[in-house]
Amino acid sequence: MSKEAQLSIAERDFILEALREDVRLDGRQPDQFRPMDITFGEEYGHVKLQLGKTSLIVRISAEVTKPREERPFDGLFNINMELSSMGSPAWENGRSNDLEASATNTLDRVIRHSNALDTESLCIIKGVSCWSIRADVHVIDYDGNLTDAACIAIMTGLQHFRRPDAVVKDGRVIVYGVEERVPVALNITHKPLSITFNTFNDSKHVIVDATLKEEQASEGDLVIGINSAGELCYMSKIEGSPINPMVIVNKTSVAWDKVKELNLIIDKVLRTDLAKRAKVGMADESRAENDRLVATE
Amino acid sequence: MSTPLVLLPSDEVPRDHLPANNSNPLRLGPGLRILSQPSSKSADSKHVLTATQAGLLTTDAKKNTVSLLSFPNRRYIPTVNDFVIAQIHHSSADFFHCMVTPHTAHALLGQLSFEGASKKTRPMLKQGELVYARVLSVGVGAGAEVELTCVSPSTGKAEGGMGPLAGGMVFDISTGMAGRLIRANSSSAETDEIEGLVVLSELGKKLESSGGFELAVGRNGKVWVNCSDSEENAIRATVAIGRCLQETDQKNLHPHDQKKLVTKILREMKLA
Repeated sequence: MSKEAQLSIAERDFILEALREDVRLDGRQPDQFRPMDITFGEEYGHVKLQLGKTSLIVRISAEVTKPREERPFDGLFNINMELSSMGSPAWENGRSNDLEASATNTLDRVIRHSNALDTESLCIIKGVSCWSIRADVHVIDYDGNLTDAACIAIMTGLQHFRRPDAVVKDGRVIVYGVEERVPVALNITHKPLSITFNTFNDSKHVIVDATLKEEQASEGDLVIGINSAGELCYMSKIEGSPINPMVIVNKTSVAWDKVKELNLIIDKVLRTDLAKRAKVGMADESRAENDRLVATE
Repeated sequence: MSTPLVLLPSDEVPRDHLPANNSNPLRLGPGLRILSQPSSKSADSKHVLTATQAGLLTTDAKKNTVSLLSFPNRRYIPTVNDFVIAQIHHSSADFFHCMVTPHTAHALLGQLSFEGASKKTRPMLKQGELVYARVLSVGVGAGAEVELTCVSPSTGKAEGGMGPLAGGMVFDISTGMAGRLIRANSSSAETDEIEGLVVLSELGKKLESSGGFELAVGRNGKVWVNCSDSEENAIRATVAIGRCLQETDQKNLHPHDQKKLVTKILREMKLA
């Protein structure tokens, strides 16, 4: 079955009724995210994100390829998200659904088209070789708000990732291994995130970070992509019932606050992880030096 | 009390683990199936009990039952006589087609298997409505249909609150938690301590003054909560109960922590 199981009448009525009293099923405030946990794998750019019960893994990888003919100075950057049946029994392997289409589109627009990753910095030799950066999103468990979770995880991954150093010598590209030269961080121009709002009761009640049940009971959604500096880079109101323009204005500032808050969390986990790696890295290096000394004697 | 025994699917239940009481027929709980092996030599054919799920073998000498206690996060497999909360998907001439667990084949609920239902008085249930029902039969083999009923087959009455559930809210819990809630409810305070589930009685004590609540536990991992008697607090009380149950389930809290949790959540929801 490729459809999400429908909500029962009792559940839908209750969620709507509860929101009239400003009560959410998990006791959160309307503008409150679920507890978020970001952890990193052993390699650079391997991020595991847990947002409530929604859980996903993002892997950033890099390889050297030929740039597109019409953009010889630009590297490549792609975001891949496939919803496999691992994430939810409602998804079928190898068949895309509406959620996948809309989430991929939003991620593309918020992160890729807003130039969060400076693709020109990925160029190695004009028209001959460049870096191709790829972000793979794997959904492990799905309980609503997939887009925002994926967006946070990808942005964290891009800031965490280090690509191997490459230099051009006599017209030839030499890529140094991670052990030979300190790998290079990607050039991030700004840090946009998407914030999804779900509306209920004729847009009288608007909440962020909806769970699956809340999403199913909602009458429409509004996605705002904005960065820490308050520059709006994406806004969509694709379907659902209309929203009062004042709500959009108000919620844009809420989105800005949320993005600042989330970016602070991301910065903090990145700093902690990099500090931990620096310590281990130094220990490794000193050990390697000793080895070499022994070998030359 | 013998040592705990963990069985895997297709494992045989050793005879020395069965209750020794021979006066009553042995009753099998969920997760066990009887297979008879006709022996060629003599008339006394051998019966073998085998496990169909992985779990801990539990026996009750008083009731002469043997059952398999499966792990709590297991998906629900219908077993005869289980109480479930089912959602109507669509109806046909003779049956309501119900969803017991999402993304599985629908279970059938007879249009007339309600208390006092006749062709004229049968309930007209719409898509998405909920019923509290009992599993009547599960069929055998692949593609077998699960049948539900809202009356007790022997008395024709709706025992244990079976029938359509109006209003209220459904919360998802693990199947293990649902089993614990049912057991804690059906037995005395003595097992209450063994199960370590005091969250419900604690909630009952605290919410009694404001009107109390109604609760139906479905073995398929659903709890229906209704607080319509507590008037202006109804919604907050319902959410509080749901949160207490889900958190107790997810964090596997000890009785002491459950009491703390109830106090904390009731204060958060401005009920205490």
